[in-house]
Order: sequence, then C-alpha cells, then structure tokens
Amino acid sequence: MNPSRNGGVSRRAFVKSAVAIGGTAALAACTSREQPALQTGPDDPATLPTRQHAWNDSLRTDDHGNDVPPRHHAFVQFDVTETPPSDADRSAVETALRSVERAYPHSNEGLLMTVGYSPSYFSRFGSALPDSVDLPEPQALAPFESPEPETADMGVHIASDYGSVVLGVEQALRGEREQLNGVSVSAFPETLTRTERRTGFIGEGLPADHQDVEGIPDSDPVPEDAPLYMGFESGFSKSQASEDRVTISDGPFAGGTTQQLSKIRLDLQQWYEQDDRYHRVATMFCPAHAEAGTVEGAGQNLGDSNQVAERGCPAHAGADAEAGVVGHAQKSARARRDGEPLILRRDFDSTDDGQATVHFLSLQERIGDFVATRSLMNGSDLAEDGAVGQRTNNGILQYMTVERRGNYLVPPRSHRALPTPNPA
Amino acid sequence: MRRRRFLAAAGGSLALSTAGCQGLLQSETTRTPPLVENRPDAVYVPSHIEGMEMVGTETSGRYRFALSYSFPHRFWLVTSDRVRKVDIGDEHSVHLMLSAWDTETETVIPTSSAAVTVTRDGDTVLSDRRLWSMLSQNMGVHFGDNVALDGDGTYEVRVNFGPVETRRAGALADALDDQVEATLSLAFSQATLDGVSYERLPDRQGQRDAEAPMGMLGERLPTGQVPPMAQLPGTVRGDVRETATGDAHVVVTTLSAPPAGIDGDGTYLAVSARTPYNRYPLPFMSLSATLTRRGETIASSDLTATLEPDLGYHYGAVVDSVESGDTLDLTVAAPPQIARHEGYETAFVGMDAVSLTL
Repeated sequence: MNPSRNGGVSRRAFVKSAVAIGGTAALAACTSREQPALQTGPDDPATLPTRQHAWNDSLRTDDHGNDVPPRHHAFVQFDVTETPPSDADRSAVETALRSVERAYPHSNEGLLMTVGYSPSYFSRFGSALPDSVDLPEPQALAPFESPEPETADMGVHIASDYGSVVLGVEQALRGEREQLNGVSVSAFPETLTRTERRTGFIGEGLPADHQDVEGIPDSDPVPEDAPLYMGFESGFSKSQASEDRVTISDGPFAGGTTQQLSKIRLDLQQWYEQDDRYHRVATMFCPAHAEAGTVEGAGQNLGDSNQVAERGCPAHAGADAEAGVVGHAQKSARARRDGEPLILRRDFDSTDDGQATVHFLSLQERIGDFVATRSLMNGSDLAEDGAVGQRTNNGILQYMTVERRGNYLVPPRSHRALPTPNPA
Repeated sequence: MRRRRFLAAAGGSLALSTAGCQGLLQSETTRTPPLVENRPDAVYVPSHIEGMEMVGTETSGRYRFALSYSFPHRFWLVTSDRVRKVDIGDEHSVHLMLSAWDTETETVIPTSSAAVTVTRDGDTVLSDRRLWSMLSQNMGVHFGDNVALDGDGTYEVRVNFGPVETRRAGALADALDDQVEATLSLAFSQATLDGVSYERLPDRQGQRDAEAPMGMLGERLPTGQVPPMAQLPGTVRGDVRETATGDAHVVVTTLSAPPAGIDGDGTYLAVSARTPYNRYPLPFMSLSATLTRRGETIASSDLTATLEPDLGYHYGAVVDSVESGDTLDLTVAAPPQIARHEGYETAFVGMDAVSLTL
C-alpha cells in the first residue's frame, strides 16, 4: 500500500476530516497518521510576541517571499457565562493559554493562536470600549446580503500545519486532555462554554482532496495545485496589509487588532461548468489578466503580487465595468491607505456542514477598514451605470452567499484573558 | 455529489442502469437538436421550441414570483463581447425559471440578485444558486439555470430576491429596494416533464424571426414586453434597427421632465433597446449618448439603466433640451450582458455606434 494512502483516503484528506469532526477519537486517529515530531514551546512566555496576531515571522515563506499560512485551522467560539468575569476565571484562562503555548513551538508547524472578544462580550460591562477600538456589531455590508450576526462572546483561532495540533489544543482548552506533546496542560474554566466550531484548511492539494461537498460539481474540477476551492492563489504579499498596519496604535488595547470572520457559502457549479477560464481570470483578478493570459494555472507564476496594481486595474475598474466585466482583486485593490492594503487576510476554506465554504477571516486596525474594503469589493458603484450586475460579471459575488459575520477584538497578549473594556 | 453516488449505486444493477441511461440519453439527444447552421448575427428562429410547466406563484411585499420549469437546455452567457455556450450537464434534470414582477405596476423585473435554495425532506438539493438573468423568445426575460433535482418528489424552493439594482423611477421610484424571501412547493415528476410540449422547427429554423411570447398562465401574468414604439410616453423621436445594433430595435423618446425619482431639470432622454418581434427589454448594456445640434455638441452623457413602469426598462439621462433635427449618437461600450436562450445568442453582441436624426 502506498504509505500516504490508507483505505483510499489520502492522509491529508483524512486529517482534514478529523479536524472537521473533532473529538478524542478523531484526534487519536489523526495523531497516529500525522505523527508530528515537534519540539515543545517556550517555558518563558516573555519570548512570545506581545501581539497575538504576530504570526508572520513564524510562518514559512514561499519562493516569492509570500507568507504561507498554516494548513489546518479551527475557530472555536465560546460563551462567557459569568458576568462580570472573576479574577479567578481570568487567571484560569491565561494559565490554560500559556499551557498550550508551552506544548508547541510558535510556528506554522507548531501552534499559532489568537483569542478575541465580541461586542456582546464587552456589552456586559458597565463601561464602553475606548474610542481607540472600533468594534461595532456585525452588519450586512451589501444590500443583497443578510448574514446572521455571530453572538458568541469569544473566538479562539487555532492554526497549525498539523491537524492533530489544532484538535489537541481545542481539546486541551476544553478540558479533554491532560497532556499535549508531553507537556501538562490545563483547561478554560467551566464558565466558558463552547458554542460553535468552524474548521478548515488552506494550501495546495487540500481543496482538491475535499471537493466531494455540496457546492462543487461532480467533475472534480478543483485543480490539484490550488490552495483554495476557487482554483487560484491568494495571499500575495503585496495584497496583504502588514501586521503593523492592522495593529491598534494607542489606548489600552494598543498592540491588539480587530478580527472579522464571515462564513461564506460557495456554489461553484456555474464557476467550473458554465464559466470559462477567461471569465474566471477576469472576474477573480482583472479583465486585463484574462486578455493577456497573465495567470498560469493557479497563479503561482505571479510571484509576490496578483499583478493587479502593476497592470493599472484599480484605476480602470469603472471602464472595465462599462465594458461588461470587473475583477474581484481589481475592485478590492481600490481599498488602500498610503498605498497599502487595509486588511490582512487569514481566511481558509471548509467542508463544514458538508458544503463548500470560506471562513473569511481578516485582521484590520479598525472594523471600519474591513467595511470600507468590502464596500469597494461589492462594486455597487460599478453596477449603477455599467453593464455589470450587482452580482453578475461583478467579481466573484455570483458564487458567494455570506451566511454569518462576526467581529472580535484581539487584545495584545497582556490583555487576552477576559479583559475589561479599559484594562489598566 | 449526488449524481456520482447514484451512478455508484446503480453500478450493482447493470442491466437496469444501462436501460435507464439509454432512455435518458435518447430523450436528451432528441430534445437537443444540432444548432442551426449559418446562424445570422440577428434574432433567428431556433431549432426547436419548448413549453414549460408552471409550478406556482407567490407574493412577498410588492414582489410577485412565478416558478416554472422546462427541459434542461443549452444557453449562452455573455462576458463583455464574448459569448460562451453552456451545455447541459449529465446531472441536470430541469431548466428552472423564475419570473418576477412588481404587483402594483405589473412591471417585470429583468435584473436582480435572484437565488434559489431547493430542499427535499430537509435535505439540501441546491444551495443558493444565483439564477442568471435570461432572455428567451417564448419565455421573455426571466431568471434561470439548468439544475439537478433528485428524481420525482415534492421539493421546497426558497427564493431569495432583491433588491433591484437598476435605478427605479416613476411609480417604482421608492419600490423594490428590499430583499425578500418566498417559498414555493415544486411537485416534480419526470412524467410531467416528459409531457411538456416540444416542437422541432425544421422549416423555419434559422429564419430571421422569433417565436411568439407564450403568455404564462393564459394571459394572467405579465410577459415583460416593453410598450410598442407608438405607445411609449413622451415624444417618440426616432428608432433604428440595423446591423450596427445587432438587430436590436432601439427607440428614442423624450419626456418634458424626468420621471419621479430622477434628479435634474430638463428634458428626459430615454433610449429603449428591445428585441425585435417580441419587444423584450435588453438589460445590462453600457450606453452613452452625444446630442449634437447644428454641428455643436450640446450634451454628452452615459445613459443609466432605469426601470420605470410606463417606459419599461430603458436607458436614460436628463439633458437641457432636445429639438427636432438634433443628432443623437449612441455608443455601446457593452452589449446586453444577459444570458440568452437559443435564437438570441448571435444577436445584440456585435453592436456599433449608431446615429439618429431626431
């Protein structure tokens, strides 16, 4: 038998489904398949970045200098049932987080993690968040969408190249593990109850291995070299905001960031079976890319940039819309401050509920930066006069349905455990 | 994913499954005749004409919906000036069609976000499929796609519709700006589908003509036709239908003031681009206009797609004035980006500038 295959299920396919399913049995099976040989993490938490979202220095980079995100992800939501949270619980949360950080190195192979808190969490306190934090309730951001707002209090984003690390950390925080990687771990207090979990993956081969879901046609159209279901690269470093850009600069949460998570359903039957490659490249990137054949395969040839700015695509979005089609990256690239993107994407694809899904997770200094970016991505301005519809030939909106959206404040590490709105 | 499971399950019973597939292939082949040879760059009579089975109607707010289906069939999608044929997938069981109109003015809505989710016994069969805006000779403007159902049975079809992105004016000025949901029950049987009318048109196919609108549910549902040229409001100033319009019939009228909901003072210039023969509107175009009087340009403007009950779907702009003898130059930056049923895919694609003396 091919060592990477077992019973017809490839190793990476199996690991993803184990992350999606969760639970102790899934972890045991997953660990035995992956057999990660990892060092433990640092004993001294002071060696870890003060920003929770400072992952980039711990990621692998590809040949073009793009940061490569961890392959497996979980976003686990909790409700905090005690109001206000006690110092004892605060201490227990911090102890649990430090314990899992001691189990694995701070890297793509080990553990990368953030803990964030929603507006509903902060609403229990008598005082408001300071003006330096922009954290509104999640909203519909287009006239044609109607997402359910997330209501959980707390969201823990757990990422690793190893699915067993993601699963193990989730279980440890929930009190189902006493040890991880040989290190003793402790759990969140019982006043934190898990409400939902989102799981997923990003990286070459993983979407192709998980295309037997609703929303992807039967013809197995997702290319083997694609990191995401839609078949193209993303996360080009020139399209990503830097961690500095997305960091809150002043106030008690300086060093933190805001996090936005949208659960987006994909229906790619039309994308793969009715649209042609010209249309896919034009609507994902820019019509100029489709005309010139700029994108080869999934776009690995593009280097560290989607080439949208280089080809002047943002400036001629209006003219392209008038001519009948406008690209997703082209529209999004109009959202810049001092020439730099406003949001840092850390999204991943998912088979949650058996449907092709994107968990679009982004970091930005202010939620308003995401709202501005999303507004330009909608291209409603382009649909007013031009030949494009609010969805048709208007980027990739034709294939997406935003089902849920949540906003979180990711405090600096020093305030990551059940913070008050104005921590000292 | 269902189709694959079905094939895997059917594999155990080879004789039966082969017989079933043959039946399927036969009916699909006979209902998908070869494309007409030497199609003109104009509206033409298709190789065949299909009827439809009406599922039902439902109202939500001011929107009213009619759901119907026919045989899966090929259609064409348009990106800029590129037209691509979409073939029937193996798994497709019906061509699902949704018509939508405003209950108060009976104005048919040609463009919007129109999504359907189909479930049976709580299982999702189709999730949030965005139906294409489409143009069909006998069905008019509608939203549609070929979809895969899961055999005979009763399905729940949830429609998520709106808002209408097109500028609205007149009696629609403050309407159709909301998003609504409606649920219809679809009792599907292959036998019913097989009973839908189907007619080859060997003697007429390829001729420059069109099948007539079928008039859904008798004449009780609006067909989506725009008014005949002579019945357009205002002063009808001229029309053109030629090679340069891709066989579209383009009619120009002016109103002494813009309809309610459109800002500006002056004359309202309305350009109604419609299909010949059936007078269906041609949405999703980029049109701009230059008005010249005695050799001098007096107005130059992009025209904005607008839905107004008396004019129908049209492209309009407010100008200072229009006089008899003015020249109107119309430039097409994008032909109608609406999907086409057979007989419309070669028309309204290669569109050039045209000039009219008003």
